[in-house]
Amino acid sequence: MTVPKEMPEKWARAGAPPSWSRKKPSWGTEEERRARANDREYNEKFQYASNCIKTSKYNILTFLPVNLFEQFQEVANTYFLFLLILQLIPQVSSLSWFTTIVPLVLVLAVTAVKDATDDYFRHKSDNQVNNRQSQVLIRGSLQQEPWMNVCVGDIIKLENNQFVAADLLLLSSSEPHGLCYIETAELDGETNMKVRQAIPVTSELGDISRLAKFDGEVVCEPPNNKLDRFSGTLYWKESKFPLSNQNMLLRGCVLRNTEWCFGLVVFAGPDTKLMQNSGRTKFKRTSIDRLMNTLVLWIFGFLVCMGVILAIGNAIWEHEVGTRFQAYLPWDEAVDSAFFSGFLSFWSYIIILNTVVPISLYVSVEVIRLGHSYFINWDKKMFCAKKRTPAEARTTTLSEELGQVEYVFSDKTGTLTQNIMVFSKCSVSGRSYGDVFDVLGHKAELGERPEPVDFSFNPLADKKFVFWDPSLLEAVKTGDPHAHEFFRLLSLCHTVMSEEKNEGELYYKAQSPDEGALVTAARNFGFVFRSRTPKTITVHEMGTAVTYQLLAILDFNNIRKRMSVIVRNPEGRIRLYCKGADTILLDRLHPSPQELLSTTTDHLNEYAGEGLRTLVLAYKDLDEEYYGGWAQRRLQASLAQDSREDRLASVYEEVESDMVLLGATAIEDKLQQGVPETIALLTLANIKIWVLTGDKQETAVNIGYSCKMLTDDMTEVFIVTGHTVLEVREELRKAREKMLDSPHAVGNGFTCPEKRSSAKLPSALEAVAGEYALVISGHSLAHALEADMELEFLETACACRAVICCRVTPLQKAQVVELVKKHKKAVTLAIGDGANDVSMIKTAHIGVGISGQEGIQAVLASDYSFSQFKFLQRLLLVHGRWSYLRMCKFLCYFFYKNFAFTMVHFWFGFFCGFSAQTVYDQYFITLYNIVYTSLPVLAMGVFDQDVPEQRSMEYPKLYEPGQLNLLFNKREFFICIAQGIYTSVLTFFIPYGVFAEATRDDGSQLADYQSFAVTVATSLVIVVSVQIGLDTGYWTAINHFFIWGSLAVYFAILFAMHSNGLFDMFPNQFRFVGNAQNTLAQPTVWLTITLTTAVCVMPVVAFRFLKLSLKPGLSDTVRYSQLVRKKQKAQHRCLRRVGRTSSRRSGYAFSHQEGFGELIMSGKNMRLSSLALAGFATRSSSSWLESLRRRKSDSAGSPSAGPDKPLKG
Amino acid sequence: MKRTSEESQSRLPDNSALKQQQLPAYRLQLTATGVLSGFFATGVFCLGVGIILILSAKSIKEIEIKYTKICGNCAKLREDATNFDKECTCSIPFYLSETMQGNVYMYYKLYGFYQNLYRYILSRSNSQLLGTDLKDVGSCAPFSKSHDGTPIAPCGAIANSIFNDTIILSYNLNSSIPIEVPMLRSGITWWTDKYVKFQNPRSKNLSTAFAGTTKPPSWVKPVYELDKEDPENNGFLNDDFIVWMRAAAFPTFKKLYRRLNRIQYFTEGLPAGLAYTVTGAVTWLASFSMMAIHLMLKDRKMFFIQQ
Repeated sequence: MTVPKEMPEKWARAGAPPSWSRKKPSWGTEEERRARANDREYNEKFQYASNCIKTSKYNILTFLPVNLFEQFQEVANTYFLFLLILQLIPQVSSLSWFTTIVPLVLVLAVTAVKDATDDYFRHKSDNQVNNRQSQVLIRGSLQQEPWMNVCVGDIIKLENNQFVAADLLLLSSSEPHGLCYIETAELDGETNMKVRQAIPVTSELGDISRLAKFDGEVVCEPPNNKLDRFSGTLYWKESKFPLSNQNMLLRGCVLRNTEWCFGLVVFAGPDTKLMQNSGRTKFKRTSIDRLMNTLVLWIFGFLVCMGVILAIGNAIWEHEVGTRFQAYLPWDEAVDSAFFSGFLSFWSYIIILNTVVPISLYVSVEVIRLGHSYFINWDKKMFCAKKRTPAEARTTTLSEELGQVEYVFSDKTGTLTQNIMVFSKCSVSGRSYGDVFDVLGHKAELGERPEPVDFSFNPLADKKFVFWDPSLLEAVKTGDPHAHEFFRLLSLCHTVMSEEKNEGELYYKAQSPDEGALVTAARNFGFVFRSRTPKTITVHEMGTAVTYQLLAILDFNNIRKRMSVIVRNPEGRIRLYCKGADTILLDRLHPSPQELLSTTTDHLNEYAGEGLRTLVLAYKDLDEEYYGGWAQRRLQASLAQDSREDRLASVYEEVESDMVLLGATAIEDKLQQGVPETIALLTLANIKIWVLTGDKQETAVNIGYSCKMLTDDMTEVFIVTGHTVLEVREELRKAREKMLDSPHAVGNGFTCPEKRSSAKLPSALEAVAGEYALVISGHSLAHALEADMELEFLETACACRAVICCRVTPLQKAQVVELVKKHKKAVTLAIGDGANDVSMIKTAHIGVGISGQEGIQAVLASDYSFSQFKFLQRLLLVHGRWSYLRMCKFLCYFFYKNFAFTMVHFWFGFFCGFSAQTVYDQYFITLYNIVYTSLPVLAMGVFDQDVPEQRSMEYPKLYEPGQLNLLFNKREFFICIAQGIYTSVLTFFIPYGVFAEATRDDGSQLADYQSFAVTVATSLVIVVSVQIGLDTGYWTAINHFFIWGSLAVYFAILFAMHSNGLFDMFPNQFRFVGNAQNTLAQPTVWLTITLTTAVCVMPVVAFRFLKLSLKPGLSDTVRYSQLVRKKQKAQHRCLRRVGRTSSRRSGYAFSHQEGFGELIMSGKNMRLSSLALAGFATRSSSSWLESLRRRKSDSAGSPSAGPDKPLKG
Repeated sequence: MKRTSEESQSRLPDNSALKQQQLPAYRLQLTATGVLSGFFATGVFCLGVGIILILSAKSIKEIEIKYTKICGNCAKLREDATNFDKECTCSIPFYLSETMQGNVYMYYKLYGFYQNLYRYILSRSNSQLLGTDLKDVGSCAPFSKSHDGTPIAPCGAIANSIFNDTIILSYNLNSSIPIEVPMLRSGITWWTDKYVKFQNPRSKNLSTAFAGTTKPPSWVKPVYELDKEDPENNGFLNDDFIVWMRAAAFPTFKKLYRRLNRIQYFTEGLPAGLAYTVTGAVTWLASFSMMAIHLMLKDRKMFFIQQ
């Protein structure tokens, strides 16, 4: 790179950097960053962030105050604090202070313990990351330091396969020209390797002594989150060198294929691009949470209403009746009028009735979710034995939302696929190989398979390569010339680099896994690519080394979709070998062997139908004369000043014609286990799956087919690739029209397309009957996501069965998720494995990370993590479904029991002069929610099951109630409330009716207040216990224990509280002495309790039974019937069947960048030793890199990814 | 959080029934047989209990005599609270058409007297009534101390508002000479009240035990002179007092005043019996209709399943 000619004015004083030093002001206003190498003192002035990362919130000292402060920001907690204060006012207090403080303290304590545990784990992980070791150059020697001690300005040494510790400026590396390869999967999810290069002046600083003397100063932009951009200047030795992203190694990258490199730390810790990108974790709330908050507000409103009614009642009573009662009980000194008495009684009633807003609700919900999270962590069926990773619920607050997911956004690479390419089939001169056993290649069928092909004849074979069809090897061994030429092509026509550490131990550095797979296949079949120089390729053909002269590489690009090499074999014959996409290559073949062409085409179709990535191989003999002329033309074209690309392309085009077909290869982009089945099952569960991938359209579509998202039965697959707003709009409009006009569409008054208003569209499009799919590419998506088109896009996309977005940036992934989230009001789930999925994982309601990969960014950002995509079905259909069911049942019951409990006070108000007299003993009020009725409902919320787990997989439709939000919504809430009020009416008025008349069996009065309190409380506890017994669908030993235990504890505490002993000790606290044994010994009381229970429960049972008979839900039916199961299973199998009729799909699926051909021919990336072999003309030093980058940016299609601009002010 | 990739050993979750959610459990199902038989059984039970209760209630005879109006002059006198200590008597003749067998209980019944008011119920001192601490009148507001600061015993609004009418049942056989019916005043309280909750302060003489306290403002006599006939029935242990102190749940209530005999008998009220009968009948009706619906739907359900 050269220094740009015009220098920015700011740095006009040539040579040394501007010398003003500036204390770094407060966070966020840093204008530029300066870091001088090996000068910690100088750098300390700026107080840059250290490389220490802190995600924890508290330490031991700050925990209590900070945590309490946070907890009291919760409305519910503040509300109870307010109640507590109210209770301390004697005129208002109608309950003892402990009725509120005991639950409040309990709730606060449980939450605090949970927060403390969470923070402990955060501390642990921080420590672990901060203490990773790195080699830092300190005072001329390399020292092992933990990551947290790395400072801005330090020079650190990285070795192969190490994580980059901070954002570094690459100074030098083991590779020639200061090159260095990195994998950025953590950052952007791309698994192909990228090249970084040190600027020439520093690339010579290879040894420590010279590096220790390096005192250059970097002045650059302040920390930001742009991963693909960096601009700065290096001031060293009186000159300036511009720096770009090409010189940077970012934290989170992994060094690959490079023995070592040195880098200067520019950004550390929280300033690194990775951390800047990680963003603030948004606190996710579930829809049930939001509903709960709304309901609590409503209840609060209801509470105020009841308070007002009772207060008015009190004022009237005091006015009408109370005045005459004043002889017996004068007003309190503070009360001077009936009105004021009413006002006080309002507050008193707020205190008494506060239990309708149940304080233990939130904490119980958290406990239940925690239980559900543990079930996920404990699930053996979500444990991946291979990677030894269990599933992990990293967020414990979302579990029931898992039962409501409607949209799944999935990454492709690493999530749906393993990112392993397997040479699975090939067609050689009209014969197909590899098609032995079942198409899907299930591991499960391993037992049925024969042994894989034995490659032991070949000492250079890759042991990991597996091929199942022995006939291909036989063909090679018997010397079939076609087979030989086929593998020769594969061993010659590529851009793979080889490395031979020891004799016979070959390592291939392939830019894409596809190429690696092909070359490895050739290697195993006896055509071993051994080494290359810029001008030669050495291949061991069936044991003998043959060196080919490499004349030209006609490189791959997106438009050509093919690559060729021209080689001269030792005999001197020149031959062009070409491999490329079938659609392109088949047109360029010599037409003569028509038969071969048609059988190969058939094979291609077959392969494509199985979702394999296909390539067509062909060759062409060139005579010396022609080649000479062509090489001349090519040289001219490459030297042309204008439209060099086009000229080269036409030169290439010229030679790549009339080729002879050799055969075709089929590479399996290995799907993760069970992906098609999972997708089929989720689709049956009415979950829509969108694939968002950074990969190319062809690859993405291919994967779509292989995981059965796209099928050939689909009516149409719309492909949107427009580059302008208008094109995209037009394409979307056409897609919609097609969907509506097709004969499949159910025309609901839809005859006039002009009349369609955008508001009506969705409903119309929902009714589309045909199966459609939408494939949209990143640049089109950029337009489609603009404000004026996003709705159109969403409507179109949602009407499609499957949506695939390819070439999307991480930001676009998040935007798509956000779009659906915003307009569809549906629960979204994003699943991905790489750092490029982090944004979408964070945006979606639920983020799932694939764990067990090298990168952990996605997992860190996720709410749930597991190592296989297939576990998603279990997470959603089993855990999610159960969580949702349990949570809904829990909430229904919880509101019910609190209303049943509290409303009794309201009715009693009418009989006690609205004096805020409670019906129950205050101890009962304190303990009702936290002791007597909490554990049974918790047990139900944690353990309940409606149908066994196998059933929920068999009937994916069982998932629908969650999506439709049927089990707990406002309507259900009102039903619960109504039931609660009904129960409260009966538990009050039945004892009232009995007590008004009845006497004890010794003739004395029964209707005393204390006996009434005990009777009502006992019947309430029994009624709600029977009710929980009815609600519990799955009676485990724990449920038994809790339900019976709660009843036992109730009676035990009742008798203890009413015992003589306690009364003797605290006569003023335990006023109910002797009440339990006197009251509960009365048959009348028990008859009352029995009657109340029967009358409360019977209608509920009847209602449920009738509902079961009249309108059974699917889960009810499933429970009842085995017949239905069989039927649906058959249906299921039908849907899984693979459609064998297939369309032709081009599968030139190289996911590598173009430009590597040039790199190879220039010899830039080769060791000096190998370079010495070749006398080739050196080309301008940076042109290959320039063009590499330019092409990359062109293909990416986004201007922002373009080359670094020259420095400007 | 790197714990995902660390601790690689023993990461396989336990295969316990609890952790795998495979706990052996009974799956509750509302089956037709279960529900219907439950309903029939409940119906039978309720009907049975209801009929028994109604029958037993029929054998109970009740005579209610309201004397508010008849003794109007006394009521008028009492309207002015300052006349609380003036005596006033009136007599009400009534006629029993048939003899009352078994136990006879005499109750007094008050209408619209709110013994259940929040402040009223709290206005008592259990520790004082226990005899341990006569001076503990803290919770008795507004009747804790007299004007001169002497603690009231028994303190509080409940004690102060005690029902102190004296009712005498006389038997007029044929002449004008009334024969007083001997009524028992004992055994009208709970055992725990009489022996645990209420105790007189320990002293040989009750009047000295209550020294230093004063009578409630509305009382005519001090607490230790409530029953002149029976010295044991004085102080906090007076049965009428204990009965009164057990506050009623509703503004209309009756309290046992005297009793005539002591033979155990079933005394459930009529309404409970009626409620049981109605519940039983309704339950039966419901179970019949449910059975009908169930049987009707059974065919339909089978059809659905076979589809």
